Amino acid sequence: MISRRDFLVGVPVGLAAAAAIHPLLTWAADQQGVFVPGKEGMIVRSARFFDLEMPPEFFDSWITPVSHFFVRNHMHEPSTLDASTWRLTISGEVEKPQTLSLADLSKMASHSVTNTLECAGNGRGFQQPRVPGVQWQKGAVGTARFTGSRLRDVLDRAGAKANGKHVMFHGLDEVPGKVPPFIRSIPIEKAIDGDTLIATRMNGAVLSKHHGFPARALVPGWIGAASCKWLSEIKVLEREFDGNFMKPGYRMPNHPVKPGDALNVDDSHPITALNVKSVIAAPVDGSTLKSRALHVHGAAWGGETEITKVEISTDAGASWQPAQLGREQSKYAWRLWSYLWKAPKAGEYTIMSRATDSQGRVQPATTEWNPSGYLYNAIDKVKVNVQA
Amino acid sequence: MFKPRFRVPIVAAMCVCSLPLLRAQSPELPPGPMQQKVTTSCTECHEPRIILQQRLSKAAWTKEVDKMIKWGAVVDGADHDAFIDYLSANFPPGKPPEPAVRAVPRKKQTGSSQ
Repeated sequence: MISRRDFLVGVPVGLAAAAAIHPLLTWAADQQGVFVPGKEGMIVRSARFFDLEMPPEFFDSWITPVSHFFVRNHMHEPSTLDASTWRLTISGEVEKPQTLSLADLSKMASHSVTNTLECAGNGRGFQQPRVPGVQWQKGAVGTARFTGSRLRDVLDRAGAKANGKHVMFHGLDEVPGKVPPFIRSIPIEKAIDGDTLIATRMNGAVLSKHHGFPARALVPGWIGAASCKWLSEIKVLEREFDGNFMKPGYRMPNHPVKPGDALNVDDSHPITALNVKSVIAAPVDGSTLKSRALHVHGAAWGGETEITKVEISTDAGASWQPAQLGREQSKYAWRLWSYLWKAPKAGEYTIMSRATDSQGRVQPATTEWNPSGYLYNAIDKVKVNVQA
Repeated sequence: MFKPRFRVPIVAAMCVCSLPLLRAQSPELPPGPMQQKVTTSCTECHEPRIILQQRLSKAAWTKEVDKMIKWGAVVDGADHDAFIDYLSANFPPGKPPEPAVRAVPRKKQTGSSQ
């Protein structure tokens, strides 16, 4: 298990006393930055609750190290987590309700999925007009190898009934004030998919606290909010869960709405799979380059689909050339891509990337405005000044 | 895990340490007649950084304030409109974005807790 002592390694003494029962205080800020052990270099969108974004320079690895993996918390992380006493209950529309320990899970077949996990709000900071929420730019996304038991096997063990159409997840995160608890559900079809997991490991190591220790749901290809962290309760339901984080949260309008309009929940649907999308990791927007020869690179993903093509434009979208896709690939994982370019002369350039997937979806020039800034996937662009 | 016998002193330590620490280590909301009241109401649950990054119209700030009151933020009814005025004046759509802050290694940190 992760002991408090381990979690607090490196925390200044004054903080440690406070953080002993308040791990949220294991940060300290000054004008230079915020101290978040194990997450150095991440962009701190919020330190209470933790919302940490991966900066563009960390898009350089097909598997994102845990230290660079984004964190999106809706509320306080659990103050007490003990692997020996942790239990997962499975109830609702089942023949045999279950209470499972980590030891019980470890006796079940193990399965691994390399998955690109992206927050539904990734890119919200680029949406115009602006909308409320964490102002993520490119990096509320990462790719990791998750390992655990198949949710299907756990549901089989409990004997899910035929009238069970949705599977609800509830975690141990601690609710501030009167905020509704973070509870969401997924349809049974996705729940029994052989790649949907109750994950206990990430990149080969035990899940860290920020990523849901000791167990989390892993719903591959879907928005991060589907993959509930610190999982403690699974319930099989006849209908979609009807709580704040299903409705009005994490819903998209069925039809385009005018910027500034509110969501009409009766004309909306819950967000499930991710969009087709690419981002440029380098060069960084606004950078000055001393060489005309340039290695443009980034990542592209499509949730449940395969990326078939990434194209680059260096003339603000007038013409497009194919980028080279990285060798490493897996069903739900992003493809890294690169493009070698030599600027014809010194000057200002706009470089753009555009991904296409196996369903024929193409990254659009602009993304349709929606009231919460979900699923932003407009063609990425960076402006550079080539001086050589 | 900490053993139960340590919990009482730890609770006491937290009460003494945590609030000044929060105020010392977190960015501040901009000066203004509502600065203290907004800080008190909002930072009960989240740090000011969440507010500093928003760029919203008055209508959108009104929705946010009302949502937060529904979710437990304590705001005196007489202050409701002044809250919205303060937030929409300081964090309007046209204001440049808040600079990104990074998580840093301990050695670069210079807070009072060292």
